Amino acid sequence: MNAINARRISVVAGIVLAVAIPAFMADYYRSLAALSAIAAILILSLNVLTGFVGQISFCQYTFAGLGAMTVGALSGAQGHHWSFWISMPLGVLFAALGGFLVGIPALRLSGLFLAILTLGVALGADRYLFANGTWNSFTGGVNPRTPSRPTLFGYHLTSQYSFYLFALAAFLLVAFLVWNLRVGKTGRVLRAIRESEVAASTMGLNLIKWKLAAFTVSAGIAGLAGGLLAVQIGSVSPASYDFLHSITVAAVVVVAGVGSLASAAVGGIFIWWLPELLRHTGVNAQFFQLILGLLLVVQLVIAPQGGVVKLEHDLKRVFGLGRRGQDLELAEVL
Amino acid sequence: MAMLEIKDISIRFGGVQALDDVTFSLKHGEILGLIGPNGAGKTTLFNCVSGVLKPNNGTITYEGQNLAGLKTDARAHLGIARTFQNLQLFGSMTVLENLMVPLDAFAKRGMVGDAFKLPRARYEERKAEEHARAILHFLGLSEHTETIAGSLSVGLQRRVELGRALCLQPKLLLLDEPAAGLDAAETAELAALLPEIRARFGITMLLVDHDMALVMKACDYIYVLDFGKLISEGPPQRVSSDPLVVKAYLGEAEEVA
Repeated sequence: MNAINARRISVVAGIVLAVAIPAFMADYYRSLAALSAIAAILILSLNVLTGFVGQISFCQYTFAGLGAMTVGALSGAQGHHWSFWISMPLGVLFAALGGFLVGIPALRLSGLFLAILTLGVALGADRYLFANGTWNSFTGGVNPRTPSRPTLFGYHLTSQYSFYLFALAAFLLVAFLVWNLRVGKTGRVLRAIRESEVAASTMGLNLIKWKLAAFTVSAGIAGLAGGLLAVQIGSVSPASYDFLHSITVAAVVVVAGVGSLASAAVGGIFIWWLPELLRHTGVNAQFFQLILGLLLVVQLVIAPQGGVVKLEHDLKRVFGLGRRGQDLELAEVL
Repeated sequence: MAMLEIKDISIRFGGVQALDDVTFSLKHGEILGLIGPNGAGKTTLFNCVSGVLKPNNGTITYEGQNLAGLKTDARAHLGIARTFQNLQLFGSMTVLENLMVPLDAFAKRGMVGDAFKLPRARYEERKAEEHARAILHFLGLSEHTETIAGSLSVGLQRRVELGRALCLQPKLLLLDEPAAGLDAAETAELAALLPEIRARFGITMLLVDHDMALVMKACDYIYVLDFGKLISEGPPQRVSSDPLVVKAYLGEAEEVA
Protein backbone atom coordinates (compact mmCIF):
# COMPACT_ATOMS: atom_id res chain seq x y z
CA MET A 1 0.00 0.00 0.00
CA ASN A 2 1.57 3.28 -1.02
CA ALA A 3 0.94 6.73 0.37
CA ILE A 4 -1.47 7.81 -2.36
CA ASN A 5 -3.64 4.73 -1.99
CA ALA A 6 -3.63 5.09 1.78
CA ARG A 7 -4.78 8.68 1.43
CA ARG A 8 -7.55 7.73 -1.01
CA ILE A 9 -8.81 4.95 1.23
CA SER A 10 -8.86 7.16 4.32
CA VAL A 11 -10.61 10.00 2.48
CA VAL A 12 -13.31 7.65 1.09
CA ALA A 13 -13.76 5.99 4.49
CA GLY A 14 -14.03 9.42 6.13
CA ILE A 15 -16.70 10.54 3.65
CA VAL A 16 -18.71 7.32 4.09
CA LEU A 17 -18.65 7.72 7.88
CA ALA A 18 -19.50 11.43 7.63
CA VAL A 19 -22.55 10.64 5.49
CA ALA A 20 -23.68 7.56 7.41
CA ILE A 21 -23.29 8.44 11.09
CA PRO A 22 -25.56 11.54 11.16
CA ALA A 23 -28.26 9.48 9.36
CA PHE A 24 -28.81 7.74 12.71
CA MET A 25 -28.79 10.91 14.78
CA ALA A 26 -31.59 13.01 16.19
CA ASP A 27 -32.20 16.28 14.35
CA TYR A 28 -30.50 18.33 17.05
CA TYR A 29 -27.26 16.42 16.58
CA ARG A 30 -27.60 16.62 12.82
CA SER A 31 -27.63 20.40 13.15
CA LEU A 32 -24.46 20.14 15.27
CA ALA A 33 -22.94 18.02 12.52
CA ALA A 34 -23.81 20.71 9.96
CA LEU A 35 -22.29 23.37 12.20
CA SER A 36 -19.15 21.22 12.44
CA ALA A 37 -18.89 21.00 8.66
CA ILE A 38 -19.23 24.79 8.45
CA ALA A 39 -16.60 25.31 11.16
CA ALA A 40 -14.32 22.97 9.22
CA ILE A 41 -14.67 25.29 6.19
CA LEU A 42 -13.61 28.20 8.39
CA ILE A 43 -10.59 26.21 9.53
CA LEU A 44 -9.73 25.58 5.87
CA SER A 45 -9.92 29.32 5.29
CA LEU A 46 -7.22 29.80 7.92
CA ASN A 47 -5.24 26.97 6.32
CA VAL A 48 -4.74 29.08 3.21
CA LEU A 49 -3.35 31.92 5.28
CA THR A 50 -1.49 30.16 8.08
CA GLY A 51 -0.59 26.89 6.44
CA PHE A 52 0.57 28.33 3.15
CA VAL A 53 1.99 31.78 3.68
CA GLY A 54 2.51 31.63 7.46
CA GLN A 55 0.21 34.53 8.30
CA ILE A 56 -2.25 34.54 11.19
CA SER A 57 -5.71 36.06 11.33
CA PHE A 58 -7.88 36.76 14.35
CA CYS A 59 -10.75 38.12 12.27
CA GLN A 60 -11.95 35.13 10.26
CA TYR A 61 -15.43 35.39 11.83
CA THR A 62 -15.57 39.03 10.74
CA PHE A 63 -15.15 37.84 7.15
CA ALA A 64 -17.71 35.10 7.87
CA GLY A 65 -20.02 37.81 9.19
CA LEU A 66 -19.68 39.79 5.94
CA GLY A 67 -20.74 36.68 4.03
CA ALA A 68 -23.56 35.90 6.44
CA MET A 69 -24.97 39.42 6.46
CA THR A 70 -24.81 39.66 2.67
CA VAL A 71 -26.85 36.47 2.46
CA GLY A 72 -29.19 37.74 5.18
CA ALA A 73 -29.72 41.14 3.61
CA LEU A 74 -30.19 39.84 0.07
CA SER A 75 -32.15 36.64 0.60
CA GLY A 76 -33.72 37.20 4.04
CA ALA A 77 -37.46 37.52 4.59
CA GLN A 78 -37.15 41.25 5.36
CA GLY A 79 -34.54 41.68 2.61
CA HIS A 80 -34.66 41.45 -1.13
CA HIS A 81 -35.87 37.83 -1.37
CA TRP A 82 -33.04 37.02 -3.75
CA SER A 83 -32.10 33.42 -4.35
CA PHE A 84 -29.47 31.87 -2.09
CA TRP A 85 -27.58 30.94 -5.24
CA ILE A 86 -27.12 34.61 -6.10
CA SER A 87 -26.69 36.06 -2.63
CA MET A 88 -24.18 33.40 -1.47
CA PRO A 89 -21.63 34.10 -4.24
CA LEU A 90 -22.06 37.82 -3.61
CA GLY A 91 -21.40 37.17 0.08
CA VAL A 92 -18.20 35.31 -0.82
CA LEU A 93 -17.12 38.22 -3.03
CA PHE A 94 -17.92 40.79 -0.34
CA ALA A 95 -15.98 38.85 2.30
CA ALA A 96 -13.10 38.47 -0.18
CA LEU A 97 -13.11 42.23 -0.69
CA GLY A 98 -12.90 42.63 3.10
CA GLY A 99 -9.94 40.25 3.14
CA PHE A 100 -8.26 42.20 0.36
CA LEU A 101 -8.64 45.46 2.31
CA VAL A 102 -7.33 43.95 5.55
CA GLY A 103 -4.52 42.37 3.53
CA ILE A 104 -3.15 45.77 2.47
CA PRO A 105 -2.02 46.97 5.91
CA ALA A 106 -1.09 43.36 6.72
CA LEU A 107 1.47 43.28 3.89
CA ARG A 108 4.35 44.44 6.02
CA LEU A 109 3.28 42.69 9.20
CA SER A 110 3.66 39.17 10.48
CA GLY A 111 3.50 37.27 13.74
CA LEU A 112 2.38 39.22 16.79
CA PHE A 113 1.83 42.50 14.93
CA LEU A 114 -0.43 40.85 12.39
CA ALA A 115 -2.31 39.16 15.25
CA ILE A 116 -2.89 42.56 16.84
CA LEU A 117 -3.98 44.15 13.55
CA THR A 118 -6.51 41.41 12.76
CA LEU A 119 -7.79 41.41 16.33
CA GLY A 120 -8.29 45.16 15.96
CA VAL A 121 -10.24 44.57 12.75
CA ALA A 122 -12.44 42.01 14.50
CA LEU A 123 -13.11 44.33 17.45
CA GLY A 124 -13.76 47.25 15.14
CA ALA A 125 -16.30 45.21 13.21
CA ASP A 126 -17.99 44.07 16.46
CA ARG A 127 -18.18 47.53 17.98
CA TYR A 128 -18.83 49.60 14.89
CA LEU A 129 -19.58 47.91 11.55
CA PHE A 130 -21.85 45.16 12.90
CA ALA A 131 -23.29 47.27 15.73
CA ASN A 132 -26.91 48.41 15.71
CA GLY A 133 -27.33 51.75 13.98
CA THR A 134 -24.18 51.74 11.82
CA TRP A 135 -25.43 49.93 8.76
CA ASN A 136 -28.79 48.41 9.58
CA SER A 137 -29.76 47.79 5.97
CA PHE A 138 -26.84 45.34 5.89
CA THR A 139 -26.74 43.92 9.41
CA GLY A 140 -30.44 44.05 10.17
CA GLY A 141 -29.83 46.04 13.36
CA VAL A 142 -32.01 44.87 16.24
CA ASN A 143 -34.16 42.73 13.93
CA PRO A 144 -31.85 39.98 12.73
CA ARG A 145 -32.29 38.84 9.14
CA THR A 146 -33.83 35.44 8.69
CA PRO A 147 -32.51 33.90 5.46
CA SER A 148 -34.20 30.69 4.41
CA ARG A 149 -32.60 27.42 3.35
CA PRO A 150 -31.62 27.05 -0.29
CA THR A 151 -33.37 24.91 -2.87
CA LEU A 152 -31.23 22.43 -4.75
CA PHE A 153 -32.57 20.70 -7.90
CA GLY A 154 -36.10 21.55 -6.79
CA TYR A 155 -35.51 20.11 -3.33
CA HIS A 156 -35.82 22.58 -0.45
CA LEU A 157 -33.07 21.76 2.06
CA THR A 158 -35.23 22.28 5.14
CA SER A 159 -34.56 18.96 6.88
CA GLN A 160 -31.51 18.96 9.11
CA TYR A 161 -30.04 15.92 7.42
CA SER A 162 -30.37 17.31 3.88
CA PHE A 163 -28.77 20.58 4.91
CA TYR A 164 -26.02 18.71 6.73
CA LEU A 165 -25.23 16.82 3.52
CA PHE A 166 -25.20 20.13 1.67
CA ALA A 167 -22.76 21.64 4.19
CA LEU A 168 -20.62 18.50 4.04
CA ALA A 169 -20.53 18.73 0.24
CA ALA A 170 -19.47 22.38 0.52
CA PHE A 171 -16.68 21.38 2.92
CA LEU A 172 -15.50 18.62 0.60
CA LEU A 173 -15.55 20.95 -2.40
CA VAL A 174 -13.53 23.62 -0.56
CA ALA A 175 -11.19 20.94 0.78
CA PHE A 176 -10.64 19.64 -2.76
CA LEU A 177 -9.87 23.12 -4.10
CA VAL A 178 -7.59 23.99 -1.17
CA TRP A 179 -5.77 20.70 -1.61
CA ASN A 180 -5.22 21.44 -5.30
CA LEU A 181 -3.89 24.88 -4.42
CA ARG A 182 -1.61 23.36 -1.81
CA VAL A 183 0.02 20.82 -4.09
CA GLY A 184 0.17 23.17 -7.08
CA LYS A 185 1.98 26.35 -7.94
CA THR A 186 0.02 28.45 -5.43
CA GLY A 187 1.01 26.36 -2.41
CA ARG A 188 4.62 26.20 -3.53
CA VAL A 189 4.85 29.93 -4.13
CA LEU A 190 3.21 30.88 -0.83
CA ARG A 191 5.37 28.46 1.15
CA ALA A 192 8.43 29.90 -0.59
CA ILE A 193 7.38 33.39 0.52
CA ARG A 194 6.91 32.07 4.06
CA GLU A 195 10.41 30.56 4.05
CA SER A 196 12.35 33.50 2.63
CA GLU A 197 10.78 36.68 1.31
CA VAL A 198 14.06 37.99 -0.09
CA ALA A 199 14.74 34.77 -2.01
CA ALA A 200 11.13 34.57 -3.23
CA SER A 201 11.21 38.08 -4.67
CA THR A 202 14.65 37.49 -6.17
CA MET A 203 13.13 34.48 -7.95
CA GLY A 204 10.64 36.82 -9.61
CA LEU A 205 7.66 36.51 -7.27
CA ASN A 206 5.57 39.59 -6.60
CA LEU A 207 5.16 39.37 -2.81
CA ILE A 208 2.38 41.96 -2.64
CA LYS A 209 0.26 40.19 -5.22
CA TRP A 210 0.60 36.75 -3.64
CA LYS A 211 0.08 37.85 -0.04
CA LEU A 212 -3.00 39.83 -1.00
CA ALA A 213 -4.27 36.85 -2.99
CA ALA A 214 -3.86 34.61 0.07
CA PHE A 215 -5.76 37.06 2.27
CA THR A 216 -8.49 37.50 -0.33
CA VAL A 217 -9.04 33.78 -0.93
CA SER A 218 -8.93 33.04 2.79
CA ALA A 219 -11.56 35.68 3.52
CA GLY A 220 -13.71 34.48 0.61
CA ILE A 221 -13.75 30.95 2.03
CA ALA A 222 -14.62 32.36 5.46
CA GLY A 223 -17.46 34.30 3.80
CA LEU A 224 -18.82 31.05 2.35
CA ALA A 225 -18.78 29.49 5.82
CA GLY A 226 -20.57 32.56 7.18
CA GLY A 227 -23.30 32.40 4.56
CA LEU A 228 -23.86 28.70 5.24
CA LEU A 229 -23.96 29.42 8.98
CA ALA A 230 -26.61 32.08 8.38
CA VAL A 231 -28.96 29.71 6.55
CA GLN A 232 -28.20 26.83 8.94
CA ILE A 233 -29.18 28.90 11.98
CA GLY A 234 -31.89 30.71 10.03
CA SER A 235 -31.02 34.11 11.46
CA VAL A 236 -28.03 36.43 11.34
CA SER A 237 -27.00 37.81 14.70
CA PRO A 238 -23.78 39.88 14.92
CA ALA A 239 -22.94 38.11 18.18
CA SER A 240 -22.36 34.88 16.23
CA TYR A 241 -19.50 36.56 14.37
CA ASP A 242 -17.64 38.33 17.15
CA PHE A 243 -13.93 38.31 17.90
CA LEU A 244 -14.21 35.55 20.52
CA HIS A 245 -15.34 33.14 17.81
CA SER A 246 -12.41 34.27 15.67
CA ILE A 247 -9.94 33.62 18.47
CA THR A 248 -11.47 30.23 19.19
CA VAL A 249 -11.18 29.08 15.60
CA ALA A 250 -7.58 30.36 15.39
CA ALA A 251 -6.73 28.48 18.60
CA VAL A 252 -8.32 25.29 17.25
CA VAL A 253 -6.27 25.64 14.06
CA VAL A 254 -3.10 25.91 16.13
CA VAL A 255 -4.03 22.93 18.34
CA ALA A 256 -5.03 20.69 15.42
CA GLY A 257 -2.34 21.86 13.01
CA VAL A 258 -2.42 23.24 9.49
CA GLY A 259 -1.75 21.77 6.10
CA SER A 260 -3.97 18.76 6.67
CA LEU A 261 -7.59 18.24 5.68
CA ALA A 262 -8.04 15.79 8.54
CA SER A 263 -7.10 18.48 11.02
CA ALA A 264 -9.81 20.73 9.54
CA ALA A 265 -12.43 17.99 9.94
CA VAL A 266 -11.33 17.08 13.46
CA GLY A 267 -11.16 20.76 14.42
CA GLY A 268 -14.68 21.37 13.13
CA ILE A 269 -16.04 18.44 15.14
CA PHE A 270 -14.11 19.51 18.22
CA ILE A 271 -15.48 23.07 18.20
CA TRP A 272 -19.12 21.97 18.39
CA TRP A 273 -19.04 18.59 20.07
CA LEU A 274 -16.77 19.23 23.04
CA PRO A 275 -19.06 21.93 24.52
CA GLU A 276 -21.96 19.52 23.91
CA LEU A 277 -20.10 16.75 25.70
CA LEU A 278 -19.38 19.08 28.60
CA ARG A 279 -23.09 19.93 28.90
CA HIS A 280 -23.96 16.24 29.08
CA THR A 281 -21.41 15.55 31.78
CA GLY A 282 -22.85 18.37 33.86
CA VAL A 283 -19.82 20.59 33.39
CA ASN A 284 -20.47 24.17 32.40
CA ALA A 285 -19.83 24.49 28.64
CA GLN A 286 -17.89 27.65 29.36
CA PHE A 287 -15.06 25.38 30.45
CA PHE A 288 -14.57 24.75 26.73
CA GLN A 289 -12.38 27.85 26.40
CA LEU A 290 -10.34 26.76 29.42
CA ILE A 291 -9.82 23.26 28.00
CA LEU A 292 -8.88 24.74 24.65
CA GLY A 293 -6.31 26.95 26.37
CA LEU A 294 -4.83 23.97 28.23
CA LEU A 295 -4.71 21.93 25.02
CA LEU A 296 -2.91 24.83 23.36
CA VAL A 297 -0.20 24.75 26.02
CA VAL A 298 0.14 20.96 25.90
CA GLN A 299 0.22 20.93 22.11
CA LEU A 300 2.88 23.63 21.87
CA VAL A 301 5.09 21.50 24.09
CA ILE A 302 4.55 18.00 22.71
CA ALA A 303 3.40 18.59 19.13
CA PRO A 304 4.37 22.05 17.88
CA GLN A 305 3.20 21.20 14.37
CA GLY A 306 -0.34 20.53 15.68
CA GLY A 307 -1.91 17.52 17.37
CA VAL A 308 -3.84 16.06 14.43
CA VAL A 309 -0.98 16.70 12.01
CA LYS A 310 1.44 14.94 14.36
CA LEU A 311 -0.93 11.99 14.77
CA GLU A 312 -1.25 11.70 10.99
CA HIS A 313 2.49 11.62 10.53
CA ASP A 314 2.98 9.16 13.38
CA LEU A 315 0.43 6.89 11.71
CA LYS A 316 2.20 7.26 8.38
CA ARG A 317 5.49 6.38 10.00
CA VAL A 318 3.98 3.33 11.68
CA PHE A 319 2.69 2.13 8.30
CA GLY A 320 5.97 3.06 6.61
CA LEU A 321 4.49 5.66 4.27
CA GLY A 322 6.66 8.50 3.07
CA ARG A 323 5.74 12.13 3.20
CA ARG A 324 6.75 15.25 1.41
CA GLY A 325 7.64 18.52 3.02
CA GLN A 326 8.14 19.40 6.62
CA ASP A 327 5.54 20.50 9.13
CA LEU A 328 5.21 24.14 9.90
CA GLU A 329 5.73 24.76 13.57
CA LEU A 330 2.96 27.15 14.44
CA ALA A 331 4.87 28.49 17.38
CA GLU A 332 7.11 30.10 14.78
CA VAL A 333 4.21 31.89 13.17
CA LEU A 334 3.15 33.66 16.34
CA MET B 1 27.59 47.39 -25.39
CA ALA B 2 28.26 46.13 -21.92
CA MET B 3 25.64 43.92 -20.34
CA LEU B 4 25.80 45.53 -16.92
CA GLU B 5 27.17 48.98 -16.25
CA ILE B 6 27.69 50.13 -12.67
CA LYS B 7 28.35 53.85 -12.60
CA ASP B 8 29.38 55.91 -9.55
CA ILE B 9 27.42 53.77 -7.11
CA SER B 10 27.58 55.02 -3.51
CA ILE B 11 25.70 53.90 -0.45
CA ARG B 12 26.05 54.84 3.21
CA PHE B 13 24.79 53.01 6.27
CA GLY B 14 24.98 55.56 9.07
CA GLY B 15 28.67 56.35 9.44
CA VAL B 16 29.86 53.59 7.14
CA GLN B 17 30.52 54.35 3.49
CA ALA B 18 29.74 50.84 2.20
CA LEU B 19 30.26 51.74 -1.45
CA ASP B 20 32.12 54.82 -2.65
CA ASP B 21 31.74 55.80 -6.31
CA VAL B 22 32.14 52.28 -7.62
CA THR B 23 32.23 52.06 -11.41
CA PHE B 24 32.76 49.02 -13.58
CA SER B 25 31.09 47.08 -16.34
CA LEU B 26 30.41 43.53 -17.31
CA LYS B 27 30.58 42.26 -20.89
CA HIS B 28 28.29 39.62 -22.37
CA GLY B 29 29.57 36.12 -21.74
CA GLU B 30 32.12 37.22 -19.18
CA ILE B 31 32.76 35.67 -15.77
CA LEU B 32 33.76 38.67 -13.75
CA GLY B 33 35.25 38.35 -10.29
CA LEU B 34 34.79 40.91 -7.56
CA ILE B 35 37.09 40.34 -4.63
CA GLY B 36 38.00 42.13 -1.47
CA PRO B 37 38.32 41.52 2.24
CA ASN B 38 35.32 41.13 4.52
CA GLY B 39 33.29 44.31 4.74
CA ALA B 40 34.62 45.66 1.46
CA GLY B 41 31.06 46.14 0.16
CA LYS B 42 30.75 43.15 -2.14
CA THR B 43 27.39 41.90 -0.91
CA THR B 44 26.09 45.47 -0.69
CA LEU B 45 26.85 45.91 -4.38
CA PHE B 46 24.95 42.70 -5.14
CA ASN B 47 21.98 43.92 -3.17
CA CYS B 48 22.00 47.13 -5.21
CA VAL B 49 22.02 45.21 -8.50
CA SER B 50 19.29 42.76 -7.48
CA GLY B 51 17.16 45.55 -6.03
CA VAL B 52 17.24 44.60 -2.35
CA LEU B 53 18.99 47.91 -1.53
CA LYS B 54 18.70 51.32 -3.12
CA PRO B 55 22.00 53.12 -3.67
CA ASN B 56 22.23 56.77 -2.51
CA ASN B 57 23.47 57.78 -5.93
CA GLY B 58 24.83 56.35 -9.15
CA THR B 59 23.16 54.33 -11.87
CA ILE B 60 22.98 50.67 -12.74
CA THR B 61 22.25 49.92 -16.38
CA TYR B 62 21.39 46.43 -17.53
CA GLU B 63 21.09 45.69 -21.26
CA GLY B 64 20.78 49.42 -21.87
CA GLN B 65 17.96 49.79 -19.33
CA ASN B 66 18.28 51.83 -16.14
CA LEU B 67 17.31 49.56 -13.25
CA ALA B 68 16.41 52.41 -10.88
CA GLY B 69 12.82 52.09 -9.70
CA LEU B 70 12.50 48.46 -10.73
CA LYS B 71 11.62 46.11 -7.89
CA THR B 72 13.45 42.88 -7.14
CA ASP B 73 10.91 40.63 -8.84
CA ALA B 74 10.83 42.84 -11.95
CA ARG B 75 14.62 42.58 -12.21
CA ALA B 76 14.30 38.78 -12.02
CA HIS B 77 11.90 38.93 -14.96
CA LEU B 78 14.58 40.83 -16.91
CA GLY B 79 16.86 37.83 -16.46
CA ILE B 80 18.91 38.70 -13.38
CA ALA B 81 19.32 35.81 -10.94
CA ARG B 82 21.40 35.52 -7.80
CA THR B 83 22.51 33.24 -5.02
CA PHE B 84 22.99 34.30 -1.43
CA GLN B 85 26.03 34.37 0.83
CA ASN B 86 23.88 33.44 3.82
CA LEU B 87 21.90 30.61 2.23
CA GLN B 88 18.32 31.55 1.44
CA LEU B 89 16.83 28.26 0.34
CA PHE B 90 13.19 27.48 1.04
CA GLY B 91 14.34 25.23 3.86
CA SER B 92 11.24 23.18 4.63
CA MET B 93 10.54 22.45 0.96
CA THR B 94 12.05 19.68 -1.12
CA VAL B 95 14.95 20.34 -3.48
CA LEU B 96 12.64 19.83 -6.47
CA GLU B 97 10.10 22.31 -5.08
CA ASN B 98 12.88 24.85 -4.52
CA LEU B 99 13.84 24.65 -8.17
CA MET B 100 10.24 24.85 -9.34
CA VAL B 101 9.56 28.17 -7.60
CA PRO B 102 11.33 30.42 -10.17
CA LEU B 103 9.62 28.45 -12.94
CA ASP B 104 6.31 29.07 -11.15
CA ALA B 105 7.09 32.77 -10.99
CA PHE B 106 7.36 32.84 -14.79
CA ALA B 107 4.35 30.56 -15.39
CA LYS B 108 1.13 32.24 -16.45
CA ARG B 109 -1.51 30.30 -14.52
CA GLY B 110 -3.25 31.80 -11.50
CA MET B 111 -5.04 30.38 -8.51
CA VAL B 112 -8.16 29.41 -10.48
CA GLY B 113 -6.21 27.21 -12.86
CA ASP B 114 -4.47 25.64 -9.88
CA ALA B 115 -7.63 25.06 -7.82
CA PHE B 116 -9.50 23.35 -10.66
CA LYS B 117 -6.39 21.69 -12.11
CA LEU B 118 -7.17 23.09 -15.56
CA PRO B 119 -5.29 21.52 -18.50
CA ARG B 120 -2.94 24.50 -18.71
CA ALA B 121 -2.03 24.16 -15.03
CA ARG B 122 -1.29 20.46 -15.43
CA TYR B 123 0.80 21.14 -18.53
CA GLU B 124 2.80 23.95 -16.91
CA GLU B 125 3.28 21.88 -13.76
CA ARG B 126 4.66 18.94 -15.72
CA LYS B 127 6.89 21.18 -17.82
CA ALA B 128 8.30 22.93 -14.74
CA GLU B 129 8.99 19.62 -13.05
CA GLU B 130 10.80 18.26 -16.11
CA HIS B 131 12.85 21.43 -16.40
CA ALA B 132 13.81 21.35 -12.71
CA ARG B 133 14.74 17.67 -12.94
CA ALA B 134 16.96 18.37 -15.94
CA ILE B 135 18.82 21.08 -14.03
CA LEU B 136 19.17 18.77 -11.01
CA HIS B 137 20.59 16.11 -13.30
CA PHE B 138 23.05 18.61 -14.82
CA LEU B 139 24.25 19.59 -11.34
CA GLY B 140 24.48 15.98 -10.17
CA LEU B 141 21.74 16.51 -7.59
CA SER B 142 19.26 13.93 -8.89
CA GLU B 143 19.55 11.69 -5.85
CA HIS B 144 18.47 14.61 -3.62
CA THR B 145 15.38 15.51 -5.67
CA GLU B 146 12.89 14.71 -2.89
CA THR B 147 15.15 15.67 0.03
CA ILE B 148 14.13 18.53 2.32
CA ALA B 149 16.48 21.32 1.24
CA GLY B 150 17.25 22.52 4.77
CA SER B 151 18.57 19.10 5.76
CA LEU B 152 21.36 19.08 3.15
CA SER B 153 25.01 19.95 3.86
CA VAL B 154 26.12 23.52 3.19
CA GLY B 155 27.97 22.45 0.04
CA LEU B 156 24.87 20.79 -1.39
CA GLN B 157 22.65 23.68 -0.34
CA ARG B 158 24.91 26.06 -2.28
CA ARG B 159 24.56 23.81 -5.29
CA VAL B 160 20.76 23.74 -4.93
CA GLU B 161 20.77 27.55 -4.77
CA LEU B 162 22.78 27.58 -7.98
CA GLY B 163 20.24 25.20 -9.54
CA ARG B 164 17.36 27.37 -8.38
CA ALA B 165 19.00 30.44 -9.93
CA LEU B 166 19.53 28.52 -13.19
CA CYS B 167 15.83 27.58 -13.26
CA LEU B 168 15.10 31.28 -13.60
CA GLN B 169 16.78 30.95 -17.02
CA PRO B 170 18.80 34.09 -16.37
CA LYS B 171 21.04 36.05 -18.69
CA LEU B 172 23.03 37.40 -15.77
CA LEU B 173 23.87 35.37 -12.70
CA LEU B 174 25.17 37.00 -9.53
CA LEU B 175 27.02 34.56 -7.30
CA ASP B 176 27.50 35.78 -3.73
CA GLU B 177 30.38 33.84 -2.13
CA PRO B 178 29.44 30.48 -3.66
CA ALA B 179 32.54 28.87 -2.12
CA ALA B 180 31.85 29.92 1.48
CA GLY B 181 31.65 26.80 3.61
CA LEU B 182 32.95 24.52 0.85
CA ASP B 183 36.06 22.36 1.29
CA ALA B 184 38.95 22.49 -1.18
CA ALA B 185 37.64 19.65 -3.35
CA GLU B 186 34.15 21.15 -3.56
CA THR B 187 35.64 24.55 -4.42
CA ALA B 188 37.70 23.05 -7.23
CA GLU B 189 34.57 21.34 -8.56
CA LEU B 190 32.70 24.64 -8.46
CA ALA B 191 35.54 26.44 -10.27
CA ALA B 192 35.23 23.90 -13.08
CA LEU B 193 31.44 24.02 -13.07
CA LEU B 194 31.05 27.76 -13.63
CA PRO B 195 32.67 27.89 -17.11
CA GLU B 196 30.65 24.77 -17.94
CA ILE B 197 27.43 26.57 -17.01
CA ARG B 198 28.47 29.51 -19.17
CA ALA B 199 29.17 27.22 -22.12
CA ARG B 200 25.92 25.34 -21.76
CA PHE B 201 23.43 28.09 -20.86
CA GLY B 202 25.24 31.16 -22.20
CA ILE B 203 24.99 32.95 -18.88
CA THR B 204 27.14 35.95 -17.94
CA MET B 205 28.34 35.82 -14.35
CA LEU B 206 29.42 38.21 -11.66
CA LEU B 207 31.20 36.32 -8.92
CA VAL B 208 31.94 37.69 -5.48
CA ASP B 209 34.21 35.71 -3.22
CA HIS B 210 37.35 35.89 -1.21
CA ASP B 211 38.34 32.36 -2.02
CA MET B 212 41.28 33.13 -4.30
CA ALA B 213 41.48 29.56 -5.59
CA LEU B 214 38.00 29.88 -7.04
CA VAL B 215 38.27 33.41 -8.36
CA MET B 216 41.68 32.88 -10.01
CA LYS B 217 40.51 29.73 -11.74
CA ALA B 218 36.99 30.64 -12.81
CA CYS B 219 37.15 34.35 -13.68
CA ASP B 220 38.23 36.10 -16.87
CA TYR B 221 38.72 39.47 -15.24
CA ILE B 222 38.85 40.68 -11.67
CA TYR B 223 37.98 43.87 -9.82
CA VAL B 224 39.31 44.40 -6.31
CA LEU B 225 37.18 46.27 -3.79
CA ASP B 226 38.41 47.59 -0.46
CA PHE B 227 36.46 49.77 1.97
CA GLY B 228 33.89 50.53 -0.71
CA LYS B 229 36.44 51.63 -3.33
CA LEU B 230 37.82 49.83 -6.37
CA ILE B 231 41.56 49.62 -5.90
CA SER B 232 42.64 47.39 -8.77
CA GLU B 233 41.46 45.52 -11.84
CA GLY B 234 42.80 43.17 -14.49
CA PRO B 235 43.12 39.53 -15.46
CA PRO B 236 43.74 37.13 -12.54
CA GLN B 237 47.53 36.92 -12.90
CA ARG B 238 48.00 40.68 -12.93
CA VAL B 239 45.68 41.35 -10.00
CA SER B 240 47.29 38.74 -7.81
CA SER B 241 50.65 40.43 -8.26
CA ASP B 242 49.43 44.02 -7.82
CA PRO B 243 51.21 45.37 -4.73
CA LEU B 244 48.16 47.44 -3.72
CA VAL B 245 46.02 44.32 -3.70
CA VAL B 246 48.60 42.33 -1.85
CA LYS B 247 48.74 45.05 0.77
CA ALA B 248 44.98 45.49 1.12
CA TYR B 249 43.94 41.95 0.89
CA LEU B 250 46.26 39.12 0.11
CA GLY B 251 48.93 40.30 2.50
CA GLU B 252 46.58 40.46 5.44
CA ALA B 253 44.35 37.50 4.81
CA GLU B 254 45.31 34.22 6.37
CA GLU B 255 43.80 31.99 3.73
CA VAL B 256 46.10 33.23 0.95
CA ALA B 257 46.03 30.80 -1.90
